[in-house]
Amino acid sequence: MGELTREQVGAMAAAVGLPVTLDDVAEVTHRLNALLDALGPLAELPLATVEPVPVLPDEPPAP
Amino acid sequence: MTLTAADDLAFSSVVELAGLVRARRVSPVELAQVYLARIERLDAKLGAYITVLREAAVAAARQAEATVMHGGTLGPLHGVPYAVKDQFDTAGVATTVGSRILEDNVPTEDATVIARLGAAGGILLGKLNLTEFALGGTRRFPFGQPRNPWNPDHDPGGSSSGSGIAVAAALCAASLGEDTGGSVRSPASWCGVVGLRPTWGRVSRHGSFPLSWSMDTAGPLTRTVEDAALMLQVIAGPDPRDPLTSRRPVPDYSAALNNGVRGLRIGIIRELTFGAETDGEVREAVSAAARRLEGLGAAVEETSLPLVLLAGAIFMALADADGAGVHQHWLRTRAMDYDEGTRRRLLTASLIPAAACQQAARARALLRAQIHGALARHDLLLCPTAHQAAPPIAAGQAPITSRAEVAGRFFTRRSYVTPAALAATPAIALPCGFTRAGLPISLQLIGRPFDEPTVLRAARAYEQATDWARRRPPV
Repeated sequence: MGELTREQVGAMAAAVGLPVTLDDVAEVTHRLNALLDALGPLAELPLATVEPVPVLPDEPPAP
Repeated sequence: MTLTAADDLAFSSVVELAGLVRARRVSPVELAQVYLARIERLDAKLGAYITVLREAAVAAARQAEATVMHGGTLGPLHGVPYAVKDQFDTAGVATTVGSRILEDNVPTEDATVIARLGAAGGILLGKLNLTEFALGGTRRFPFGQPRNPWNPDHDPGGSSSGSGIAVAAALCAASLGEDTGGSVRSPASWCGVVGLRPTWGRVSRHGSFPLSWSMDTAGPLTRTVEDAALMLQVIAGPDPRDPLTSRRPVPDYSAALNNGVRGLRIGIIRELTFGAETDGEVREAVSAAARRLEGLGAAVEETSLPLVLLAGAIFMALADADGAGVHQHWLRTRAMDYDEGTRRRLLTASLIPAAACQQAARARALLRAQIHGALARHDLLLCPTAHQAAPPIAAGQAPITSRAEVAGRFFTRRSYVTPAALAATPAIALPCGFTRAGLPISLQLIGRPFDEPTVLRAARAYEQATDWARRRPPV
């Protein structure tokens, strides 16, 4: 995903009904772009073959 | 009682205090008053408490004293004063979760963990400060700025900030925090105390304000590992009111506490201990701790977890998105009642593309497999709890003006504590040294799911071989 602009972030927030100030939009844009950057390397992982796993492993059966 | 004697009593461990009460050498009333006096004297400059229950604590202590004098049944915490993060419901006592939005919230029943600590005989001193809604990044704390007892200009860590401060400064004998992605271990690390994240599902979440359903867990902060074992013993176990608690039997966490580390295989996580992000003094102290464990008989070797440095970003994509779901109503109706840092974090989380969250969920499974694989080869994994010692408070208060700042302030540091949360494993933070500036450094030990006994046993062996736990902050 390319870099999001403040205008795009402001429009996304407005579209889902979230009230934001101009200062909020500026910072949220940095935060969102940084998170998407940080998640970028996940695209290189073999995620298509990942199966869901239970959070509690090897839980004994209910009595 | 002289001030020195009172201070010595206040810094005693929970196990010691419970023994003194049981032996009738200290009255629960005297004990409560010692801590209340310290809170009165010190908390204005530390900001650990949101609510202090002076009258209720003394009344409960009088009742506890009467039980002792009449030879009644005494629980494991009988007469011992403790405090809890203001994220846990307390019947008839405000539970703010660190936010003005909930300042008038007075629950009608106790959270399960509060009920269990009370049933064990503990005396609740009050509710402890936290970052707003247990999210990190609060800039202006609505109920006062929490400060690090080792240097009040520095961050005490979060989100269970007050829980770390109160234990380090002996404003209670022990505290309870909540750890979604490091919120017990981070303040334990920066305040120089012990913090235990139990296996997810080991402790009930009922009555704890949620952040992320698949990672939230309550955990104790204490001055000794033995106390952490005792506190866990009290709060652990299935709860019909939390369907996600495990049905596994709760072991005796003190039984093997003194068995040492001889024969244990410990893997040092290379990326977190020797990586470029880790501060030199932290690396040095944690490496020395690993050598100490080796000297005590453990087999210590490096191990690699290539995905671990992605943990912070994976965590934030998942936990923050969960949090955004929790907060949608207030974000739309009371946005300006949030602290600016909290609001912007939740707004960001509300806009994460669904595909990114789904990728993060799958990457979590891969990371978890990597961690569990390492734990099949090793009994424990070892790394720093934090990449650096406590930074100045001012460093976290400025608005974010670039994406590079976001990575430094959020993703990097979370990659040290979130792996255990993402993999649903237990982890403990314990002091392993100090920087040249006098700030605590912390060692983290991560164990297999439900193997808290081994985590506690190794932590205890290290603690006993060093004197870090006996140091007191200059307050």
